[in-house]
Amino acid sequence: MIEGARWRRSVYFHLPLVMFVVLLLFPFYWMVITTFRPDGELYRPWNAKNYNPFWTWHPTLEHIRLLVEDTLFSTWLWNTMLISLASTAISLVCGVFAGYALSRLKFRFAGSLGTGIFVTYLVPQTLLFIPLADVIRNFQLGDTPWSLILTYPTFLIPFSTWLMMGYFKAIPKELEECARIDGASRWQAMIYIILPVAVPGILSAGIFAFTLSWNEFIYALVFLSSSAQKTIPVGVVSELVRGDVFYWGSLMAGALLGSIPVAVVYSFFVEHYVAGLTGSVKG
Amino acid sequence: MRIATTRAPRLRLGRALLNQGAKSEEPDMASATTTTTMMRSAMPAGRVHQKAGLLEDERWFAAALLLPTAVLLGLFIAYPFFQGIWLALTDTRVGVPGNFVGLKNFEKVWNDSIFRTAVWNTCWYTFITTIVKLVLGLWLAQLLNRHFKGKAWVRAFILLPFIIPTVLSTFAWKWMFDPTFSVLNWLFWQMGFITKRINWLGEPDLAFFSIIVVNIWRGVPFYAISLLAGLQTISPELQEAAAIDGANAWQRFLHITWPLLLPVTMVVTLFSVIQTFADFQLVYVLTGGGPANATHLFATYAYQIGVGTGLLSEGAAISLAIFPVLFIVVLLQLLYIRRVETR
Amino acid sequence: MARVSRRSLLKVTGTTAAAATTGGLAGILASGRAPAYAQTSTVHWLKWNDFVPAADEHLRKKAIPEAEKALGIKITLETINANDLQARTTAAIQSKSGADLIMAFNSNCQLYAESLADVTALCEAVGPSQGGYYDTMKGNCHDGKNWISVPYCVIPGLIAYRKSWFNAVGATTFPATWEEYRAVGMKLKAAGHPLGQTLGHTFGDAPGFAYPFMWSFGGKEVEADGKTVAINSKETIESVKFMAGFWKDAHDEGGLAWDDSSNNRAFLSGTIAATLNGASIYIESVRRAAQYMTEDGKEMRTDIAHAPMPRGPGGASAFHGSQSTMVMGYSKNQKAAVDFLRWFHTPANFEPWFTSQKGFASGPTKVWETNKMWDEDPVMKPFRTAASVGRVPGYAGRPNQKAAEALTKYIVVDMYAKAVQGMAAEASVSWAEGELKKIYSV
Repeated sequence: MIEGARWRRSVYFHLPLVMFVVLLLFPFYWMVITTFRPDGELYRPWNAKNYNPFWTWHPTLEHIRLLVEDTLFSTWLWNTMLISLASTAISLVCGVFAGYALSRLKFRFAGSLGTGIFVTYLVPQTLLFIPLADVIRNFQLGDTPWSLILTYPTFLIPFSTWLMMGYFKAIPKELEECARIDGASRWQAMIYIILPVAVPGILSAGIFAFTLSWNEFIYALVFLSSSAQKTIPVGVVSELVRGDVFYWGSLMAGALLGSIPVAVVYSFFVEHYVAGLTGSVKG
Repeated sequence: MRIATTRAPRLRLGRALLNQGAKSEEPDMASATTTTTMMRSAMPAGRVHQKAGLLEDERWFAAALLLPTAVLLGLFIAYPFFQGIWLALTDTRVGVPGNFVGLKNFEKVWNDSIFRTAVWNTCWYTFITTIVKLVLGLWLAQLLNRHFKGKAWVRAFILLPFIIPTVLSTFAWKWMFDPTFSVLNWLFWQMGFITKRINWLGEPDLAFFSIIVVNIWRGVPFYAISLLAGLQTISPELQEAAAIDGANAWQRFLHITWPLLLPVTMVVTLFSVIQTFADFQLVYVLTGGGPANATHLFATYAYQIGVGTGLLSEGAAISLAIFPVLFIVVLLQLLYIRRVETR
Repeated sequence: MARVSRRSLLKVTGTTAAAATTGGLAGILASGRAPAYAQTSTVHWLKWNDFVPAADEHLRKKAIPEAEKALGIKITLETINANDLQARTTAAIQSKSGADLIMAFNSNCQLYAESLADVTALCEAVGPSQGGYYDTMKGNCHDGKNWISVPYCVIPGLIAYRKSWFNAVGATTFPATWEEYRAVGMKLKAAGHPLGQTLGHTFGDAPGFAYPFMWSFGGKEVEADGKTVAINSKETIESVKFMAGFWKDAHDEGGLAWDDSSNNRAFLSGTIAATLNGASIYIESVRRAAQYMTEDGKEMRTDIAHAPMPRGPGGASAFHGSQSTMVMGYSKNQKAAVDFLRWFHTPANFEPWFTSQKGFASGPTKVWETNKMWDEDPVMKPFRTAASVGRVPGYAGRPNQKAAEALTKYIVVDMYAKAVQGMAAEASVSWAEGELKKIYSV
């Protein structure tokens, strides 16, 4: 009986879980191997003899060295971090305030405003970046981190507003009423009573917003020009794809070094993230 | 306290959510009291309130809260958005301001065979990936919802495909699909499944399949983690009760888990559909819309026409043509979510 | 408790938004960088990151500092991935801000003709004094009246092939016609070393192969008037039919998915026997000689030779890659920008750059054929005069904006790709005709 249960657990639980992990993480394993593989081993056709693509006996740090020493990778990492954090912070403040107003306050047009904010999320970036370049020029933000810090919120705010709306709706109205009877102003009731309760929701909106900023490519490509201002995705692609030659090892090293730190940070937050998204159940 | 007694059922839901975040098991009253105390201690002692201010008016307060959003969106989205619509109605080329031509661009686009391919591709692409991501994500969420060693690590690292900059992970896939160096071919060959290589990105159907695979790979973690969140709100007691009543695992899923999970599923699907519909980077890097336009999506085709060819007006028209389709899909989902919500 | 007045609240909510906008200016002030428009003497030059890293290195370390000294201006060089140049150019033109000099590939400058400064004076000073520009360059950079972009270099495409494998199937000299090439290719493919070519959506190699293939059969996009679509001809259909069979018989069928870098990798890994390409394959094999070996353990560079594309019923043809530098119309530094280009294209200043290319790029003018750099390596010798044969898209008309549109839509490439995938030759040609008519009729 117990034997049977264990067997069943393996088939229905361990096996699929291992499969998921392997399939989802295989590309990363491949990136790791490519990062450490010397170029001489890299270009072997798939049906070459004695070829084992999954291991290398001559690991090299050459690709990482090229990435770190010959490109401005650390600067890009720093830029990306700064831009993502700042735009996430701005979006969260806006999104939390707007979400609060749209879900917990009564005023005319609340519904249509909510829809209006949502609609901006639907506009494809491939259309927006050209007129947006005009705006960036008018504000003289070109080639500064501000060009991204201020434009990323355009697609982050709708999302976070919406997520926060869902979350706020799930918090009982009485919580503020009670506070207001005790003499708090509306502002105080929001800041001291409701926001602390909504922390998981804010966190999950933050993580999602951060990821989207971290990933963004087109705006970063178009609005930044000096190498020292670039973000990881644009910098790596700009420097490591040279005409007919891809610097695969360094490209992959860039991808890894640019995502592992985030993964580690997320591992601390993931429980909150999970909890936070729950708030949108009612969204 | 008044709130706890009069509105108990509603609050219980709120508490379930609160607990999710705070991981506390306090009774309703205690939690309400704590927040009030919390507020008191957080606020400086002394004067407690000032109710006469303009901000105590609900409408003014709302306006003030909406101000930052309005300013940012107004400055950075409003102009480009209307400019985009205007572009689509003119015959603008890059560097040449255009004249108003009405719906001519849309007419031209409508008669464009590549555009039609792109429409079909986008719809199929979104449809297939959404279904598969949902099924796999749900499955994975179920697995992650159980207790096992290293759960936290698995949960964090499973998010990697979602975190990594899309352009770079797509380069990795491009390398794995490379017709000459494909590690996938090596693998299948070693396992004896194939004798000839699979031309992943070279044949139209296969190339389309390949971009779908990459999209799913990138999207499953997001679904899984989000649905996991939903699963955790479902009380295990319900499951146990049903099990005692003799329901098997599948029945329990169908009659208990799925209905309760539906709202969160809708939200996740909504975000995912919007993102997938406008997907650009993946195809841009992997195939550039080739071979022979077989993998063009709305966004990549709009980009090729608008930027590659300089026909900004036509590119804008293609981008906007996505809008009604997306709008309908999203509207349906929004309506559905509202219905679930009011139920 | 602090009194929360309206004013203080507005201050709080206001600052988040205001911090955003004023911070932008504050940020500029803090970083001590004046906005670009204020520095009239700084020239921003945007180009691809060169396949030959040494050439960019030369620009950064030597050419630019020298030019800055000589001209009393500042030059900022920005290099990006070639595929992304167009996005930058488009955004720059539409917002009338951005780099002062932007590199254009092939005939792309024709797309932006209205937004470029007239560079006729400069081109007419440089060209004739250096033996004249190649037709390829004139076709791409001249709009029929004026020069709209300054020719930078030609990147000729020749077929790189493995001598030993060709010898092994009895081809001691490189095939002169497509028929012969196909016959040799069949034997090579049977021996496990097919020919390799791309028909994917990639800006360099795909049109570089498809266009001259069509021309060498006598096919053409349009009549000489540059308006009447003429692709649906007996010759084109013949070429499409030939390609479909040729592809199956002799080519690596993975080629439909290749980008510009794939044939390089396939060649260097010993998978394909020949491919039409720039000199990058050979240069790479020399650069890392120990890494690329033949199957009998010799350095692969010793087994590589170059030859022009075979002839078809319509004669010999070629479509060479080329690059030019556009002086942007919105630029406030046009004078400085033109001064820099004039400086760069004087023989003494251009030569070190040209030499650093080791033959990957030929000069834009004929005088560079006689440069002693070509004596360094006999394998590179065929590239010396390669640029003198060549047409540009839009043939038999002028390469105008319409032709550039057809090129960026990959219509000719897709015409062949469709046939290779099994569409009837007539159908794929008439598809291409329909698409071209849409472009040329407007």
